[in-house]
Amino acid sequence: VRPILFKERARDMPEQLVDMQWKLGMAVSSDTCRSLNSPYVSLLLKIAEPSGQISQKALEMTIPQFQNFHKQFKEMAAIMETV
Amino acid sequence: MAAGLSSEDFTNLQLLLKAPSKDAVRDVCVQSHRAVSQRLTENTAATFSIPAAQAAQLIQSLHTLSHHVLFYNLTSPEQILAVFPESFHSSLKNLITKILLENSPAWRTEALSRQVSLPQLKELDWRVDLVTGSDSVSRMAVPTCLVQLKMEDPCPSAVGDSISTVTVELSRESLDTILDGLGRIRDQLSAVAGK
Repeated sequence: VRPILFKERARDMPEQLVDMQWKLGMAVSSDTCRSLNSPYVSLLLKIAEPSGQISQKALEMTIPQFQNFHKQFKEMAAIMETV
Repeated sequence: MAAGLSSEDFTNLQLLLKAPSKDAVRDVCVQSHRAVSQRLTENTAATFSIPAAQAAQLIQSLHTLSHHVLFYNLTSPEQILAVFPESFHSSLKNLITKILLENSPAWRTEALSRQVSLPQLKELDWRVDLVTGSDSVSRMAVPTCLVQLKMEDPCPSAVGDSISTVTVELSRESLDTILDGLGRIRDQLSAVAGK
């Protein structure tokens, strides 16, 4: 069970996730393996700093990782619901 | 890169007949797959009692062979045996084939994890906070989620660290939007799997 913290919001706000773009792809071939057939999910996260500046972070994950990722976010939402 | 196999490569591979044991053959096959190095050349020359120049050629040819098997995903004994010329020493051919078959699954997994890609997700940690006050609002009860993502860059720059961390805060609304997106990915995966 994740600990829930009660806190005062400080003047310095943490970075906010403002957008998430996604892509479901299939790696077909590479220089090491002619036949890959390996699906993956890639995400582009848009993050707003307290200053207002927007930065981007791109990442990839395998399908099992994605399924765990999805499960974690569902848990977060469930807990947010109860608080 | 997948270089082709030449008859010279098979000549070099017959140097394996000088190995003191089957384990020595196995060791040099596995190590040459990873990298062709000066140290490996020296060790092989000593173990096999052959000149360094010949050891270097043997290692290079083994490297070419194992990467050929990996690239074309040769997974059956018949497929690998077919790579060798007719005249190749029969028991050595069988031993090499056995070693390649044993190691191929691990080599493939390793290749998949090291291929060209965006930074890979390594860890996801999160915490739900209840914000009870701020400088603008003295009393409130707003749940927010703090999410930390750790990513590993498979092709890090020489100077940089390969692991990067992103920590972001999510409001209820952002979280719902993300869940919506993740749900669509799940739907797409089901649709593709169903085909």
